[in-house]
Amino acid sequence: MKVKLWGTRGSIPSPGPETIRYGGNTSCVGVTLSDGSLLALDAGTGIRSLGLSLAAEPTRLHILLTHLHLDHIQGLVFFAPAFRVQTEIVIWGPASPEASLRDRIARYISAPLSPVEVRELPCDVSFRHCPESEWEIGPARVRAASVAHRGPTLGYRIDDGDSSLAYIPDHEPALGADIDVLDEDWISGFALARDASLLIHDGQYADAEYPDHVGWGHSSLSHAVSFARRAGARRTVLFHHDPLHSDERLDQLGAEARRRWAALGGEEGGIELGAERGEYELPARAASVAPAA
Amino acid sequence: MSQRPLELILARNLMSALSTPAFLVDEGGVLVFYNEAAGMLLGKRFEELGAVSAEEWGSLFGPFGEDGGPIPYDELPLVVAVRNGRPAHATFAIRSVDGADHTVEVSAFPILTAHGSRGAIAVFWSTATNGAGS
Repeated sequence: MKVKLWGTRGSIPSPGPETIRYGGNTSCVGVTLSDGSLLALDAGTGIRSLGLSLAAEPTRLHILLTHLHLDHIQGLVFFAPAFRVQTEIVIWGPASPEASLRDRIARYISAPLSPVEVRELPCDVSFRHCPESEWEIGPARVRAASVAHRGPTLGYRIDDGDSSLAYIPDHEPALGADIDVLDEDWISGFALARDASLLIHDGQYADAEYPDHVGWGHSSLSHAVSFARRAGARRTVLFHHDPLHSDERLDQLGAEARRRWAALGGEEGGIELGAERGEYELPARAASVAPAA
Repeated sequence: MSQRPLELILARNLMSALSTPAFLVDEGGVLVFYNEAAGMLLGKRFEELGAVSAEEWGSLFGPFGEDGGPIPYDELPLVVAVRNGRPAHATFAIRSVDGADHTVEVSAFPILTAHGSRGAIAVFWSTATNGAGS
């Protein structure tokens, strides 16, 4: 399984010279499974670059949406494969009692917010609510579970061979609880992240910023590190960077994350802040994860 | 141990912050949590008791009707809420570990999600306390 970060920013795109290293595009992660199947995790503005990287040939791909906040779907109408008749796209997302996934996404992909409507997309697109039970995409077993955020929100776990990727980009597991003392089965998202080869997790706020953002649906750095350590993730990438955090500020937070990781017994090199275009390779038959480049 | 559904996790987190006694059962009717206020009412903290079935909970603390007899399991508000997916309300007595009976009003409501029932929550209001063994 190969993993590439196409957008690591949270909330709103934040391009500019101060964010050039970690990137300004919003959430999108490309995953290539062991048989070559392609998944996109979320469709923030990063999915535009993912789409441009794909060859203009018949393509079948799955887009797994964690939720429908704009920073996770904004790139859909700028995803080049969606405008090719040869492309088949399956969009997965959370169910809601209020409306179907298609109808909720169509609120964005429709006038006056969008120049095109869902029905006008040339590709073969379908929408599916994620089931409660595990399902298969190519060689991978995929699991979705609701996690603590605002509105219906999922985290995902993808197991391909011996490797596992957990993706929980918007998550506040410590809301109203102390995750250092809770039993594991009472921690939001825990089963998704347990012993994952690679965990991509919300780390939006510095600890000092978190008290002013309790209930906003995101993690403090300390909570994210504690969650990852308790879950036993072998490697953790903090994600969904606050749009106010410059590269320099993120460097500081990365150093703090490494200190906390080490203090909790984590191995050196086991945690980092996600940077746009960062790549990871999860060998199908190996215990460790190494950056691909 | 399997992961608790998010709705139960969030309910527990909310209940932990309340001063009103509150109980949480899962979709199978198992009592999976009660808060500190409920623990004070019962005389036993949840951490001391752990998760128990509704039948077991009934044998530990009642509840009892006005005639002093046990209330049938199927009529308990929490059981009605989790089985039938609708709210239920009742007044009855529960017995704390020190033997004192507490008359309480109980409102229970189901936790329903896009994937069906997750369990139920019951909130207790104490209306009267009688001496041990009364």
